[in-house]
Amino acid sequence: MRRALLLVALVACGPGETPEETPTLADYGVLGWDGQELSYVDDIVTYELATPLFSDYAAKRRAIRLPEGEAAAYVEGDAVLDFPVGTRIFKTFLMPADLRAPGQDLRILETRVLTRDADGWDTEPWLWSEDGSTAELAPSGAAMTLEVTGLDGQPQTIHYLVPQRNQCVDCHELKDGEDRYMTPIGPKVRHLHRDAQLADFEAQGLITGLPANPEAASVWDEAVDPTTLDDVSLDALARDYLDINCAHCHNPNGTEGVSSQLFLHRGETDPFALGVCKRPGSAGAGTGGLTFDIVPGDHTQSILWFRMQTEETGAMMPDIGRSVAHTAGVDVIAEWIDRMPGSCD
Amino acid sequence: MRSLLPVLALCAGCSSTITCKKVDRATCVEIEDGDVAGLQDAANTLDDDSAIVLAEGTWELDNAVTFRNANGVTLIGQGMGVTVLDFGINENQTNGVDVIADDFHIEGLTILDAPKDGLRIEDSDGIVIRGIEVTWSEEDNPENGAYGIYPVKVQHVLMEDSVASNASDAGIYVGQCQHAVVRRNRAEKNVAGLEIENTQFAEVYENQVEDNTGGLVVFDLPGNPVVGRDIHIHDNVIRDNNRANFAPGGVVAQIPAGTGTFAMASRRVVITGNTYEENDSVDIAIISGLVIESDEQQWFTTDAELVGDIDGLDLETGTGGVFNYRTSDVWVYGNTHSGSGTDPDMSSLEERELGFLMGILYGQETVDTVIYDAIGESGHSPTDASANTNDNHICVGADVGSFASLNLEVLAAMTIPSLDEVFRPDAPFAPFNCTGQTPIAPDVEVEE
Repeated sequence: MRRALLLVALVACGPGETPEETPTLADYGVLGWDGQELSYVDDIVTYELATPLFSDYAAKRRAIRLPEGEAAAYVEGDAVLDFPVGTRIFKTFLMPADLRAPGQDLRILETRVLTRDADGWDTEPWLWSEDGSTAELAPSGAAMTLEVTGLDGQPQTIHYLVPQRNQCVDCHELKDGEDRYMTPIGPKVRHLHRDAQLADFEAQGLITGLPANPEAASVWDEAVDPTTLDDVSLDALARDYLDINCAHCHNPNGTEGVSSQLFLHRGETDPFALGVCKRPGSAGAGTGGLTFDIVPGDHTQSILWFRMQTEETGAMMPDIGRSVAHTAGVDVIAEWIDRMPGSCD
Repeated sequence: MRSLLPVLALCAGCSSTITCKKVDRATCVEIEDGDVAGLQDAANTLDDDSAIVLAEGTWELDNAVTFRNANGVTLIGQGMGVTVLDFGINENQTNGVDVIADDFHIEGLTILDAPKDGLRIEDSDGIVIRGIEVTWSEEDNPENGAYGIYPVKVQHVLMEDSVASNASDAGIYVGQCQHAVVRRNRAEKNVAGLEIENTQFAEVYENQVEDNTGGLVVFDLPGNPVVGRDIHIHDNVIRDNNRANFAPGGVVAQIPAGTGTFAMASRRVVITGNTYEENDSVDIAIISGLVIESDEQQWFTTDAELVGDIDGLDLETGTGGVFNYRTSDVWVYGNTHSGSGTDPDMSSLEERELGFLMGILYGQETVDTVIYDAIGESGHSPTDASANTNDNHICVGADVGSFASLNLEVLAAMTIPSLDEVFRPDAPFAPFNCTGQTPIAPDVEVEE
C-alpha cells in the first residue's frame, strides 16, 4: 500500500488537532503560469523528450526536482533512471486554441506529479483553474470537453481526460512476478538524449554513471513526411514512436499489456512479438475485422494501424489518454508497415 | 463479511437502509445521492480495509469508478435499481466499475450504460459480487459495452443474485479465473448469456439464462495460458435463447441464435439437473476447439506460460508444452429438455455456419438434444455403432432425449449435408454411455 494522499490525512484529523495547510503546487516548487510559461523555483530543471507520448495534441512542459546535492543514476539497459528518494517529476499539459499553432494561445489544464518516496513512486493529479491562476489537488481527475480549431481549420471537440489517481496505474505500473510497482515512463537515457540536454545534465551533476556513447531516440518532428525518410531512419522513428506511445503497457512486464503478448518496446527483436503475422490475444471488438497485428506491406490490413487511427470506443489504442487520432504518428506507422517485406500467406 | 442478502430480501419496499454501521470494514464513508465528487475522491484515496456506502439515488459519471491502490474494499449500495451508477455521459473509453484489488466486494447497485465493460475485475484474489445489476438502456445495440459482469484472471470469486442484460458480447463472463462460484444470477437479452472461459474449478448453478442469442457456454480460446477444467453446471434454467445475434464482431458473432449450451475446447465438464426449453437451434453441443481455429499451433501453450493446475488432464502434448483444442471428459445427464431444436439460425452462412449447417442437415426434423462433433475421434461411422470410438470420453445419460455424433468437417465439405452421415444411436447411446462410471466433482473454493 502506498502512502495515502494528503487529502485523506486532512479528513482524518480528529478534534483538537490543527489541520495542515492545504498543499499547493507552489509548495512543490511550481510557482505559477503566466499564460506562456510555467515558473519554477531555481532547483527545478526542465527537460524535453526526443519523441513524446501523444496526448490529444496537448503541449507539455516537463520538469524535475532532485533532492539537494543528489543525482539520478544511469541503469544498465533501456531502463528508467534510478532517482533518489525525494525526487519529484512534473508534467504539465496545455491545450492550444488552434491545433495548427501548437505553441500559441495555450490553456493550462493539469499537472501530474510523480514523487519518489521510500516505498516507490506516488502519483498526484493537479487541476488548474480555467484562467490558469491556481491549481488544486484533484484525486478524481476531470473529464473536460475542449473546443479547439482542428488541423483542418474546422471546429473540433476534444474529450480530454485528466486521469483520476487510480488511472495513473494504467500506464505507470509494471509487474515483476507478483510484485507490482509504479515507475516514470519518459526519463530514460535514450529519450533524454537530444541536443545537448544529456551532456548538460551530466555537467551539472544531475546524472551519474552515464556510458560513453549512450543510444539516442529519434527526435520527433510533427511535420515529418515519412515517405521521404530512408529505411533505417523510418524504422528507428517508428520503433521510437511505438516505444514511447505503447510500450509502457506492451512490454513483458506491463500489467495491462502482457496478456496481448504484443511487445512494442525498443529492445524487442522478435518480429512475431512485434506483431508481424501475429493474431491478437484479446482484442475483442478491437480487431476491426482484421486478422493480424501487422501484415507486412499493407497497413490497411494491420490491427496495429487500425487501433491507432480509429476513434471508436472499445477499439482505439492506447486505452486511455487519447480521444482523437494522431495523424502524423499514424502516417509514420503506416509507411513503416508498408515498407516491410514479406507476407502472412 | 456477513451476507446482507437476507436484509435486502426482507426489506424490499421498506425503508431499512445500508449504513456504515452494517459494513464490516475498518473505515467507511457514506456518499449522498448523486455526489459524484464524493464517490470519486473516496475511490481514489482509499486505504486498505475500507468501505464506500452509497445512498439511494443516481450518480451521473463522466469517468470510470476505479479501485487500484487499496485491498479489502467494499462498495455497497441500497440495492439494484435503487442505487444507480449511470455512465451515459462518459465520453472516455473506460469500463464502468474497474477493479484491480484483492478482497473486493461489490453489492446492491446498478451499473448503467458503461462505454466498455460494466464491471471488470482483473488480476485479483478474493472477490464477492452480490446483488448487482449491469445493463445498457437500449436492447440489441451493437454499440453497447462488451461484457456485463467480467471477472478476469481472478482467483476465488463468488458471484450471486446478480443480473446482466443487453451486453453486446457476454452478460456474465468468467474469464481465466480459478475457483469461481456463479449462482442464482440472471442473464438475459445479451448476445451470450453466461460464459465460462479458460477457467479452472467453477460451480455454476441455479442461474436463469433466458432470451439471449446463446445461453450458458463453456470454452477455451486458443493461446490462453489457463487451460479450462472442472466446470460443474447444474440446476440452471436455459430457455428461449433465440435473440438475433447483435454482436459487432469477434468470435461471439459466430454464435447461432437458439444455442442453449456449448462446451468447446473444454475438459472435465458436468452438465446436469438443468432445464432446457425452446432453444431453437440446439440444447447442448459438444465441440472441438478446431471448429473456431483449425490451426492446432494456435492452441499451443508452453509449460512456462501455463497458469494454474493441469494435473490429471489428458492434454495433447508438443515439445515443451500442451495443446488445449480437444474437448474431453464431458458429462451430460439428468437435464430436462422440451421444445428445442425446431428452427436453427440460418441467418448467415458466412458468419454463423454452424446454425446454417444444422438447418440444412435436419431440414424439417428436430435437431437432436445433444450433438457431439466427432472430429477428434479415431473412429466414426453413421451406420455401424461398433465402429464409433469414444476416445474423448464423452458421457451422455440415457435421459437426454436424443443424441447425435457427427463430423462437422465432413458435413461442412458436402454440397448438401445429409443426416445419412450422422451417427444417431438409440439410448443408452453406446459407446457414449460410460456405464458404471462416476462423474468428476469439482473442488471449488471461494469466500462466502
